[in-house]
Amino acid sequence: MDITYLKEKRILIVDDEQELLDMVVSILKEDGFRNIRTASSVKDALETAGTFRPELAILDVMLPDGSGFSLMERLKAQADYPILFLTARGEADDRLRGLGLGADDYMVKPFLPQELIFRVTAILRRSYKGEEPLVRLQGSMIDFSRGEVVKGGEHIPLTAKEHALLSALCRNAGRIVTIDALCEAAWGDNPYGYENSLMAHIRRIREKIEVCPSQPISLVTVKGLGYKLMVER
Amino acid sequence: MRAITGEKGDIRKEVTMKSVPRLIRRFISILFLSIFFLLLLNFLLLYFMTKDQTSSRSPYATAQEAARGLIRDGENCALGQDFQEMLREENAWAVFIDNDTHRVIWHTEDLPEDIPMEYSLSEIADLTLGYVRDYPTYVGDGDNGIMVLGYPRDRYWKSMWPTWDYDFIANLPWNILTVMLLNLLSFLILYMVANTGLLKSVNPIVKGIQTLPTGEPVYVREKGVLSELAASINHTSEMLQMQQRQLRRKETARANWIAGVSHDIRTPLSMVMGYAGQLAGDLRLPEEEQKKAQVIVRQSARMKNLINDLNLASKLEYNMQPLARGRENAVALVRQVAVDFINMDIDRRFQIEWTAEESLRACMVDGDRDLLMRAVSNLIQNSINHNEQGCRIYVGVWQEEGSCVIRVEDDGKGASDAQIEKLNHTPHYMVCDTNTTEQRHGLGLLIVRQIAASHGGTVRIGRSSYGGLSVEIVLPADS
Repeated sequence: MDITYLKEKRILIVDDEQELLDMVVSILKEDGFRNIRTASSVKDALETAGTFRPELAILDVMLPDGSGFSLMERLKAQADYPILFLTARGEADDRLRGLGLGADDYMVKPFLPQELIFRVTAILRRSYKGEEPLVRLQGSMIDFSRGEVVKGGEHIPLTAKEHALLSALCRNAGRIVTIDALCEAAWGDNPYGYENSLMAHIRRIREKIEVCPSQPISLVTVKGLGYKLMVER
Repeated sequence: MRAITGEKGDIRKEVTMKSVPRLIRRFISILFLSIFFLLLLNFLLLYFMTKDQTSSRSPYATAQEAARGLIRDGENCALGQDFQEMLREENAWAVFIDNDTHRVIWHTEDLPEDIPMEYSLSEIADLTLGYVRDYPTYVGDGDNGIMVLGYPRDRYWKSMWPTWDYDFIANLPWNILTVMLLNLLSFLILYMVANTGLLKSVNPIVKGIQTLPTGEPVYVREKGVLSELAASINHTSEMLQMQQRQLRRKETARANWIAGVSHDIRTPLSMVMGYAGQLAGDLRLPEEEQKKAQVIVRQSARMKNLINDLNLASKLEYNMQPLARGRENAVALVRQVAVDFINMDIDRRFQIEWTAEESLRACMVDGDRDLLMRAVSNLIQNSINHNEQGCRIYVGVWQEEGSCVIRVEDDGKGASDAQIEKLNHTPHYMVCDTNTTEQRHGLGLLIVRQIAASHGGTVRIGRSSYGGLSVEIVLPADS
């Protein structure tokens, strides 16, 4: 899937530990992100945000001159963009508080580089949908903006449910999405008892995207757990 | 915790409800017993006080005998010597009135001077009923005349009252019963009024004492007869509260200390983990170096789990982690944990397989989603930690007679029967100060136990049919 446009997004990272800032920058840069600024205090962050106009902010909860939560409110007052909290406080109430105030995600230190990359990419993809690209699979292509699959020069339209299921799978490309999460994506809350319908929809999606639907390569079953969409880079 | 408090409250209520009626029953029986003894005492007193009177000769009988004892011979009359003796003993005088003339035809020698010698019919009627010149008189029927006995003025009191209604005497048993019942009723009312006051002052004290063991603060109004008792209850409650506060402060301090330490370790560990993660995936490095970096990643991940466990264990131990309960589908929840592990894909040596039956789509439990996920991920992590050579991990959910069973098994090296026995029966490690070296094996499982317990469930540890260890979390199903 082509996500190079996401790598151009402006990211602001705020933490009072210079070494941690360096590390996060290094992780993001290694993954291809280019527009990154850092700040080590609330004051610093507000100044930088004014000129840099970030499209994503990664904030520490505890800063020397204030809390990350209040910083988020002030940043959001300037402009609306997604916020990811990065903190050493692992308590559940903090997590709820952060998300309740409008944070998009919350990560507890310590974390693995790929975890950070995944979350940053997921938030960016969710927040900047307008630029939805084509998703390349083996032998076919999904065009979400048109809601169709292109296979061998043929344009096959997707139903609403198929669209919802494919975008949930696509957001987690290469990772397993549980049966329950897929049902929730297609049928909303309390999605129990839709497992058979889900199987029917998956079968129909395979007929549209797979070259050989009986031996799927792109939409793989993980027995008992869920499904995984394999995307071509 | 809440359930336990509720139970305690019910017991307390029951005790109060039992002891007060018992008290009332006791008081009432005492009351009836006292009434009975009072009546008995009165009867006895009455008996002893009137015994002397009734034992002496009735004046009516004396008059009758004297009348018969009078020997009449025409105009001359004479009384036998023993009758005269009898009258002298009684200190009484006597006259005999003739039926025809209404005149006194005989009298004793000590006759007071003011006694008339002739009587009209109405005077005879008066003396029969009452007095002659204030001397109480009694009449006996003699030979063609009447014998009148006069006693000293202060000897008898004669009732000249009009008699009772016939109905009243005829219904005497009923009347007595009515009077007795009315008496009883007034006794009861008096008693109730007097005792309600007492009970009113006893009740708060009883309640106070019963509340003390629950640990809730108690205040009893220090007023009335039992004010000293109330004061000492209040004092005891204050002391208990103070001790509780101190204990709580100590526990909070310990939990905060652990939270602080784990917080401070997180940031440096982030850097270890982050850079090691980068190096582990750096294809420019020789394979040997990448592997070394992978070891650092794995070990720092273990440290991260340990910090999380330590923090949560201390909070659960001191009840500082409130449960955010909700209706959760255990199947979906466990599936998510398993998938998270596969998606993280730290180490390819560990394969996770789903073993639940496909027909089981939901198994609802009332629980805290985050904590339950934590318990399951601890079990999977436990299998990973104890099988460094790698293993397959089998995860599933079963429904079992009103319970929801979450099972995590592996085909790793497992544990000996003795170890399993020990794991099943070892109490909380947090309060155990010996064998602290074993904590590194137990903390993960300890948390699982604590989480299960806080949901009203249990943990079963055993041998897996796949060859390794099997751990089950049994939770009450939410129907």
